[in-house]
Formats: sequence, C-alpha cells, structure tokens
Amino acid sequence: MLTGKTVGNINIELHNKNPYIWAGLVLLITGSLVSPLAYFILALTWLTALGICMLILSFILLALGSTIPKLSPEVCSLLLETGLENMATIIEELGIRTKAVYLPSSMNGGRPKALIPLHANPALPPINKSLPRRFITRYGAHPDDIGLLLTTVGTAAAGLLKPRPGPNPEELESALTSLLTGMLGVADRTTVIYNENHHIKVDILNPRIETKATWYQECLGGPLASIVASVTAEAWGKPIKITQEEHLNGKHSIELEVTGQ
Amino acid sequence: MKIYNSYIIITALLLLLTTIILMVTGQTSLDVYYLAYIIEALIVTELYVYFNTKARRGLHIVSVALLGGFLFIVSLEVIKMLA
Repeated sequence: MLTGKTVGNINIELHNKNPYIWAGLVLLITGSLVSPLAYFILALTWLTALGICMLILSFILLALGSTIPKLSPEVCSLLLETGLENMATIIEELGIRTKAVYLPSSMNGGRPKALIPLHANPALPPINKSLPRRFITRYGAHPDDIGLLLTTVGTAAAGLLKPRPGPNPEELESALTSLLTGMLGVADRTTVIYNENHHIKVDILNPRIETKATWYQECLGGPLASIVASVTAEAWGKPIKITQEEHLNGKHSIELEVTGQ
Repeated sequence: MKIYNSYIIITALLLLLTTIILMVTGQTSLDVYYLAYIIEALIVTELYVYFNTKARRGLHIVSVALLGGFLFIVSLEVIKMLA
C-alpha cells in the first residue's frame, strides 16, 4: 500500500506534466484498449485502424511533450521582466540615449553582446581585437571610446543556433524562422531582404512579443529586434545597428545596418 | 508552442481522413491502413523542418519505431509470398 507521502509525491509529479503528455497518455490507453477489442472481438478493421491511429498520435505527443521545459511560461516571463527592468534602470539612470551596436561573438570573447557607447559617435571605430568581458569597456583608442557591454535577450537566443548561419539573406531567413518559429514559438514566419547599401530588412509575421516604446528599448531595441540583430551580427561577423523598428498590421519590421564595412 | 499544435492537428486530421477514405472504399486489409499512416506521418514530420533539436530527436525515435513496424509488415508479406 502506498504511504501518504508517496501519494503526495505522485500527485505533484502528475500535476507537473504538460498537456501534451496528458493527451499522449490518454490516447495511448484508449488506443491500447480499442485496437485489440476491435480486432479480436468486434472484427472491425476500420476501428482497429483508428486504434492504431491513436497509438501513433500518442507516441508523437509523448515525444513532443518531453521536450517542453518544466518551468511555466509565467515563471519565464517573471525572470525576463526582472532582468529587463534592471537593465532599463541602469540605462535610464546613466541617461544614455545612444543606439546600441550588436557585436558578434568573435569580437566579444565567445558570446554576441550589445555595446552601448557612452558618448554619441557618428561611426564606431573599427574593432580589431576581442573586447574584454567587462560591463564598462574601452572599444577604441580615443578617450571617449567607452561603452557598456550588455548581455541581451539576443545573446542567449543566438546561442541556441547551431551551426552559425552564413552571411547571406537565405541562410539568415532560415536561421531566424527556425529560431523564432521552431524553437521560441514567438512568430509565424520571417522574411529577410538584403539591400545594396548594407541595410537588412527583416519582417516578422504575427509576433507574440510586445514592443513598448521605452527609453531602454530606444537604446537596445525590442526583444525581437535584439534577437534578430544578435543573429545577424553572428551571421555577418560584423557589428550591427538597429536603425528602425515598427509594428504594423501583425507585422514587425526591423531595419538593420551592417557597420564596420 | 504553436508549431507543435499545428503539427499534431495536421497529422491527426490526415490520419483521420485516411481512415475515412479507406473505410468508404471498402478496404479490409489492416496492412494498407498501417502503411498509409506511417507514410503520412513520416512525410509530415519531414515537412516540419523548423522543429528544435530536442523535438527532432524525439520524433526521429518515433519515426524509427514506425519504420520498424513498416519493415515488419513488409517482411511478413514477403514470407507469405514465398510460402
């Protein structure tokens, strides 16, 4: 007989299962009962086939259900908001208005990061060596070439992509769709257009992340723009600047500029 | 996970539609039903190229298991023909 504690533990385990696992288990049990019953007793081929159908779907649901993270979306949102608010407070308190430049991992010692220059420079000086992994960093020879090196949503998201996309619009589009649609589930589709003057236009269809017009987002861009800029910086291996970001009729358009040409 | 939902709904609808079509056409061989299901499931899985690595790995195991069933049926048919 099971003890109360054991029963309690089982209850907790069952509550933690996601809807895919639940649906998979229900279909597995129903399919296992229906198919032999229909085949041996009722002698109905179509009902047996329907039972097999349920079993196939149950295997698929169980396979997909095991890939869902154990943390609830509410907890993830809580963690994201806390991190973003802390970053927003730092940027607002320092009174920074300059636009961030997204640097590839080759310029940052392993991870793509965002550099916010403390002084507004018309052009970023060429970065020839990897920047030190510090919060406040010097990126040029001029005394004013000091900036904040931040880890953004894009830093973590770009790390999910393996292998790194190549510097062409086709590979970038495929990588972004794979990341935003397949892995993160935050949009339906992505299209990439590369213009001659080193400008890249990325359209994200039906995004499910809001972009608010805050001081922080004016500097670093919204979460989607941050992800797109980080992945593009990785693909091109060059610093990327977000020049424009707008949301219109279920389409989020982001314009990027490849700097350091 | 919108992509998971669309994949499951499309697969379920396709399998259900196949069952109805085969039932209406008077198909009585269970092998035909099973082969049609496996082929459809494998094609739909291949079409969803944007799944994450974990999901792809999980579905790969399911595909291998289904393919094993497919080969089992084929070998049974071959044995029946030879006998």
